[in-house]
Amino acid sequence: MSWLAVLTALAPENVLLAGIIVLIGAEIFARHTRGALAIALVVVAAAAGAATLLFTSGYAATPFPGHYSIAPAGSLAKAIVLALALPVLLLSRDDFAEDGQFHILVLASLYGLCLLLSSDSFLTLFLGLEIMALPVYVLVLLAFKRPESPEAALKYLILGGTATAMFLMGISLLYGGSGTLAVSTFAAALRSSDIMATAGVTLILLAFFLKGAIVPFHAWAPDAYEGASIPVTAYMATIIKAGVLLAALRLFGTEVVSRPTDDLLAFLPLVSIVWGNLAAMRQQSFRRMIAYSSVAHAGYLFYAFLGDGAGRFQAVLFYLVAYGLLNLLAFASLPSGRDDAARDRLDNLKGLFQRSPFAALMIGMAMLSLAGIPPFPGFVAKFLIFSNVMAAGYTTYAVLGLVGSYLGIYFYLRVIQLMFMTPDAAGAPRPVFNRAALGASGLCLLAAIAVAVFPGWVMGQF
Amino acid sequence: MSDAALLNVVLFLPLAGIALLVLVPARSEGTIRGVAFWVMVVQLAATALLYVHYDATVSGLQFETRIPWIPAWGVYYQIGLDGYNILLVLLTAFLGPLVVAGAFSAITKDIKLFYAMVFLIQFAMLGTFVAQDLFVFYLFWEAMLIPMFLIIGIWGGERRIYATIKFFLYTAFGSILMLAAVIYLVYSLRTTSGVTSFAFADLYRTQLPLSVQLVLLSAFGLSFAIKVPIVPFHTWLPDAHVEAPTAGSVILAGVLLKMGTYGFMKLGFPLFPDATRYLAPLFMTLAVVSIIYGACLALVQNDIKKIIAYSSISHLGYVMLGLISLDLIGIQGAIIQMVSHGLTAAGLFLMVGMIYERCHTRELSAYGGLAKLLPVYSVFFMILTLASIGLPTTSGFTGEFLVLLGAFKASWPLHVAGDSLPLVLAGSAVLGVVLGALYMLRFAQSFLFGKAKAPHEPVTDLNLREKLILAAIVVAVFALGLFPNEPLSKTELAAKEFQQRVTSVAIPGGAR
Repeated sequence: MSWLAVLTALAPENVLLAGIIVLIGAEIFARHTRGALAIALVVVAAAAGAATLLFTSGYAATPFPGHYSIAPAGSLAKAIVLALALPVLLLSRDDFAEDGQFHILVLASLYGLCLLLSSDSFLTLFLGLEIMALPVYVLVLLAFKRPESPEAALKYLILGGTATAMFLMGISLLYGGSGTLAVSTFAAALRSSDIMATAGVTLILLAFFLKGAIVPFHAWAPDAYEGASIPVTAYMATIIKAGVLLAALRLFGTEVVSRPTDDLLAFLPLVSIVWGNLAAMRQQSFRRMIAYSSVAHAGYLFYAFLGDGAGRFQAVLFYLVAYGLLNLLAFASLPSGRDDAARDRLDNLKGLFQRSPFAALMIGMAMLSLAGIPPFPGFVAKFLIFSNVMAAGYTTYAVLGLVGSYLGIYFYLRVIQLMFMTPDAAGAPRPVFNRAALGASGLCLLAAIAVAVFPGWVMGQF
Repeated sequence: MSDAALLNVVLFLPLAGIALLVLVPARSEGTIRGVAFWVMVVQLAATALLYVHYDATVSGLQFETRIPWIPAWGVYYQIGLDGYNILLVLLTAFLGPLVVAGAFSAITKDIKLFYAMVFLIQFAMLGTFVAQDLFVFYLFWEAMLIPMFLIIGIWGGERRIYATIKFFLYTAFGSILMLAAVIYLVYSLRTTSGVTSFAFADLYRTQLPLSVQLVLLSAFGLSFAIKVPIVPFHTWLPDAHVEAPTAGSVILAGVLLKMGTYGFMKLGFPLFPDATRYLAPLFMTLAVVSIIYGACLALVQNDIKKIIAYSSISHLGYVMLGLISLDLIGIQGAIIQMVSHGLTAAGLFLMVGMIYERCHTRELSAYGGLAKLLPVYSVFFMILTLASIGLPTTSGFTGEFLVLLGAFKASWPLHVAGDSLPLVLAGSAVLGVVLGALYMLRFAQSFLFGKAKAPHEPVTDLNLREKLILAAIVVAVFALGLFPNEPLSKTELAAKEFQQRVTSVAIPGGAR
């Protein structure tokens, strides 16, 4: 392939790379980095635009045969994830407006994400996953607004390292058995009854469970989410989660999961759904609550892998869109507090409707959607996953999962109760929202409405 | 404008109302109330037009709209009027302006959000009735919970948060199992006939083995039974009613409870006919238990809202009895009873709200001799009480009488054939009428007669707004009692269709 073709094929990645270089340059040479947010926004928007163009033109190419290929589905996933990163950047204005490092790290992480979405071999996939994850360890620490931050970052780093090790071990087992690093090895290993292949698959799957925070590998999530600052938590809860799931999707492809892997794939996510929802009920911190809720949502997402291979991509991607949008909407609408810890407390939401009706309505909508109550997009997403699971014959697991999701309703309702039905904490200030955060919630709201009103159209794109 | 478009206008008018409310500044409360009221009036007028133009001689859907919505799943935005829903749609639209007007003086906090929520629930309720596609139905069915949750939780009484969360969690539990059943049902339709569709018309044609039907009917049935509510799934209702603001109680008793019985009539029974016939004795028993248990509990309450709340359980037991009798007269009676209860319970809750606004207590023992203190109030109250008891010439009589007639007519042949349980149950249901008279008259006696007392004296009698609201309800109650033929003719074909669907043996070797 010519260099020009490689440039085109990797357009989203290249745009991100250029952005990273510019931002580093600005960080080194400019005295103040006030334009960092604007640059990052433009870069991510351009990258998303490039990915959209690649998708709509149906561009398919293999710049690096066996390692890296571009296909419309991958381009669409890139476009969606990059678009979801826009509100994250917008809502970082309060915390990181003056901080060029934040934007560099986010762009680097997004670069890794794009890489893994196009990977054809275990090597590129691994590279992508690590490039995506490494900056986040720093991002958690970057806030450093409270003493818990270093602990959270360390915990995240160590457990992330464990996942990496398991992933690598799994890959080596698969490589040892097949002699090839192509991702299709994984699908073949799913079919095989060879003990080595099964061990490899199991290790890789557990690595994904760890990165996706599935019970019992979830313990890092509440601490990391709480210790990070709001934009970083939002980034981890939506985009990193999407990255992990999309990487898993890359490996599973359309292969039907059979015994004994399906037991693992059904049971642990089910436990996650139940436990995540139960544990979330007791939380006093908004971010810890979202962490446990994300444990439950990871459960739904991995459930999708039980389903028929053809509908899997659609179900996962649709869920990620609905889940990401509404989560970001909630984060963008969070009212300001005295300091980070106070802002994070659920009590800060008391009587929010009186102080800021718009924010309360937005958070309320996000909560109901995350709870999977119609007519919000979360419902259609959940419906898609559970109907796939049921169609694949796992009726019992589908019913149990639905009952598990019922457990989650209570704590989402509690947030609404605090905002609408509990009187204001005495003398609580009217929250201030900067225009960037409002823009972020506006973006998410419009997209969420579009998904809610035209789910059929959205699904048709996948 | 085509006829089908008019139904869409009726359905989406509440959303337009919300849009209008958003434009009005929160401080101009008069404008907000005016907008809410007049939008509801326009909706009622449009619905009345639909009702008049509804052709009773044609079975099936009228004013139908069908647009693909999620093509990949075969989901259509499909709505229409038929004999099942025509009266309930009219009831919903009729209560709309009354609910809004009834809340003019009672709701003073966040009124913009309040009327927006009333519009939202109006939209969801109408949508549930007119939906002809299971997916759309489920969306509306669940969406109903949110505004009700907020109405009770924000404007309710002291224990409102407990009550509203209990309400939400109870009903959501039923819905989640129903969701599983919906998915399974649609999936079975696809495997047996190759059609992926959520349309009711297609789903009626699924043929499932009895064992599967039983499971699915239990899932659907639990969801509907919680909503009705049928004893023993009723415990959320008294709490919700007592804590809800008047408008919430009126919506709850007037329309929301009918969702459950409508669900049984439109979906639960006809979708799973074999299981329905198999479980008919169980449903009949539960219906009669609800009638008698509800009445007994109403007899011993001291909270006036609770009396009406428990009486609702009893009255909706009749609806269930009429439906499960599978006799044409009984089914017709059930439909009339739904509307009649919607009117009388709404009226009574409005009246309780009016006295509560004046005296700030719901304790029955705090009142007495209101006939002397509030003569106009007492006249309206007595009329609604008698209608609730089912005195001839009122709507309550038409409904209960037809239900009991149907129940006896259906159980007599069974008795002759050696199965006396239905006859015993039908006989016991008559007891409910007596108990109904007992608790309502006890209520009216200590409320209206005896030594005159009321907290916060002197109390003022009804004002013009309140008189007009109650007059509208009383007129409707008598209209339905004196001229039941006209509405009955509109539902007759649907009742026949329902009867035929449930009684026809779908699979050889099915139950009974």
